[in-house]
Amino acid sequence: MTNFGHYPSFDVMKEQDEWDDHTQSIVASRLKPQGNFQFLTHAEAGMLNRICSILVSDQTPEVMNFVLGHIDQTLHKSPGEGQRKTGVPQAPELIREGLKAIDQGTRERYSASFLELDNVRQTQYLKDISESKAEPHPIWSRIPQEPLFQKLMSLTVEAYCSHPKVWSEIGYAGPAYPRGYVRTELGQVDPWEAKREP
Amino acid sequence: MMQRKYANEEVDVVIVGAGAAGGVLAKELSEAGMSVVVLEAGPFRDPQKDFASDELSMNDLGWQDTRIVDGKDPLTMGHNNSGRGIGGGTVHFTAVFLRFQDADFKARTIDGVAEDWPIGYEDLEPYYSRIEKEIAVSGPKHFPWGNYHGPYPYPEREPLSPNAYLFMNGCDKLGIRSSVAPLAILSAPFEGRPPCINRGFCNQGCMPDAKFSTLIVHIPKAIKAGAEVLADCMVTQVLMGKDGRVRGVSFVHEGSTYEQKAKVVILSAYVVETPRLLLNSANAQFPNGLANSSGWVGKGIMVHSSQDVYAKFNDEIRLYKGTPVLATTQDFYRSDPNNNFVRGYTLHAHGARPVGFAQGISKSQGGPVWGERLRETLLNYNYYGRVTMVGEVLPHEDNRVTLTDELDSHGLPRAKVTFSYGDNDTKLIDHAVGKMSSILEAAGGKVEFVIPDTAHMMGGCRMGDDAEASVVNSYGQTHDIPNLFICDASIFVTSGAGNPTNTVMSLALRTADYIKEKAKKLELTSSG
Ligand SMILES: Cc1cc2nc3c(=O)[nH]c(=O)nc-3n(C[C@H](O)[C@H](O)[C@H](O)COP(=O)(O)OP(=O)(O)OC[C@H]3O[C@@H](n4cnc5c(N)ncnc54)[C@H](O)[C@@H]3O)c2cc1C
Ligand code: SF4
Repeated sequence: MTNFGHYPSFDVMKEQDEWDDHTQSIVASRLKPQGNFQFLTHAEAGMLNRICSILVSDQTPEVMNFVLGHIDQTLHKSPGEGQRKTGVPQAPELIREGLKAIDQGTRERYSASFLELDNVRQTQYLKDISESKAEPHPIWSRIPQEPLFQKLMSLTVEAYCSHPKVWSEIGYAGPAYPRGYVRTELGQVDPWEAKREP
Repeated sequence: MMQRKYANEEVDVVIVGAGAAGGVLAKELSEAGMSVVVLEAGPFRDPQKDFASDELSMNDLGWQDTRIVDGKDPLTMGHNNSGRGIGGGTVHFTAVFLRFQDADFKARTIDGVAEDWPIGYEDLEPYYSRIEKEIAVSGPKHFPWGNYHGPYPYPEREPLSPNAYLFMNGCDKLGIRSSVAPLAILSAPFEGRPPCINRGFCNQGCMPDAKFSTLIVHIPKAIKAGAEVLADCMVTQVLMGKDGRVRGVSFVHEGSTYEQKAKVVILSAYVVETPRLLLNSANAQFPNGLANSSGWVGKGIMVHSSQDVYAKFNDEIRLYKGTPVLATTQDFYRSDPNNNFVRGYTLHAHGARPVGFAQGISKSQGGPVWGERLRETLLNYNYYGRVTMVGEVLPHEDNRVTLTDELDSHGLPRAKVTFSYGDNDTKLIDHAVGKMSSILEAAGGKVEFVIPDTAHMMGGCRMGDDAEASVVNSYGQTHDIPNLFICDASIFVTSGAGNPTNTVMSLALRTADYIKEKAKKLELTSSG
């Protein structure tokens, strides 16, 4: 597993014995493979895998697997969305119908399914959606594009940035109870924090 | 089935919502010997077992149930501004504990905007002092702004966080005064609770109990004094008697509906749910909702503008370290004739953990940040510093809570929350973004992202002397129904330019004193 950031040898999980039990079990469970999706179909999961990895520009399989598991569980359990703009379908419908539209849309525009397109075209199509410019119009008439993009983004980002592999990469020291921080002046680090490597 | 204490009795007081205000009321009224039932929609959590040092899993400290949002600037709800569970918003709030200033109560007199409050700073002053002492607020020996300059009951926090030092350096260079923030976080042991260990997860619930919440401070004291505190009980209706007074509430617990009779009903369910409950309780006598003869129930909701500015530095800052807000300035709090807007704002150095950081950056002004640019920014997470604002937002009748046709799992119409900034609000934001940017640059950073954001909600059942243009008097008593009270952030007239919870809790203490006084004189009787 390559770590591309300023902290190539930092592994936040080495510190897990220092964390309280509840936090430890939550974070450790993110490293287990997530299978048997309850909401997503196999085809939907395949598309999402590609879309989410473009959104965060990272294809690391175990991280993407956790992201998909999170999206599946959120859409399955529907704990409430906090807020939803007037006229926007509920999240499970928005994502399901949105994925359909992405697939059909690229078939009509490029005569290829979304997954068959190259990375450049896939990224461009997502960019169009983010600006409510994706075509053809009839396929997108019922699906609000920007809200779809925002929903995909927020579900992806909240899971992605909760994966310990990403924590290690960005040099985030992670959970800090019961230990806390002692050396907090500018430039100081506690012994267990990530050290920048030249 | 629930174990009940007051199942079939008429109690003196039923309180709906166990948040900042509900917690204070429960403690005060039960300690005064009144029989009290508290009904809270969310769970009763144990900080040691139910909290975690983790952003994603602690999202459910927020009110996740969907609200429909509308307007030019639709709000982000949930964890961003609403709590759910015993303790309400105090469980995951940042604990910046400021007083309002005298000018906050007089926007109409001073600037010709909004309305004056029916009370002034001097009316709340003794209550601010009592609340601050009760929870041992930590703060500086000398606080430079406003009507109160300290000293605070407990010494200021030390050490601070890297981002707070950075902020203070930037302010120093520009001649802007800055200070350690007054916080509802312990700097030394108090009532068996330890001081803060600077772990930085205040918005995920404080595991060591160093941060105040009504979950760990007021509710346990209320229970000790005999209050019955029931979690997972969603109040669905306020019940009217035949004589135009309320007789109690109905609530749902695990799918079954119950009634609780009471002489006095107090709604402390916050800015969305309090108006929603009043509107959902409409009946033949009050077809537009209870206590709504003025038409002001749900109107005039406010937030604080809360734009974040991120700058990148050559050296590591590490935004995850330490209590999120430790340093502040209120140099721009008051109206200034040189500005093209009235009112003002507070600025805080504000930390961020990865999820909050990336969610914010991705919604950056000027178009979403994603893909390679987001990944690159994330890899440099440790090199960013951040300043955030708490800007006054003027009330407007069109910013409001109404009901929709869509039903929630209880079969109740969902709330719709409509919000748009006004002209003064956006000019104020531009000014603050400029100041935040210059502070970060003076500290050596390069500004990269400005994030549109909001924080805190206020208003929706505003207080006033005029029964035709307000919902409650200054004690939270509704103009229309003498034994129905509202006591939470919804009774604010204006938003002020600082964090609101000290004011919410001080108002609750004042309401509690009023109810105790009235009860002594037997002026609050039940519906016949
Ligand atoms: C992320 C965040 C950070 C914040 N930081 C700060 C800060 O640093 N400083 C500051 O001063 N303020 C801060 N606040 C604001 C603070 O949390 C609120 O001002 C305060 O909690 C409002 O108190 P309240 O009593 O009005 O409502 P709340 O504390 O929200 O309590 C309302 C309670 O009512 C319950 N309820 C709602 N409807 C029903 C119903 N129908 N039946 C039963 N129960 C119901 C809810 O579950 C909730 O527990 C922050 C808020 C958030 C979300
Ligand atoms: S920073 Fe301090 S107050 Fe905040 S959660 Fe951590 S220990 Fe509690």
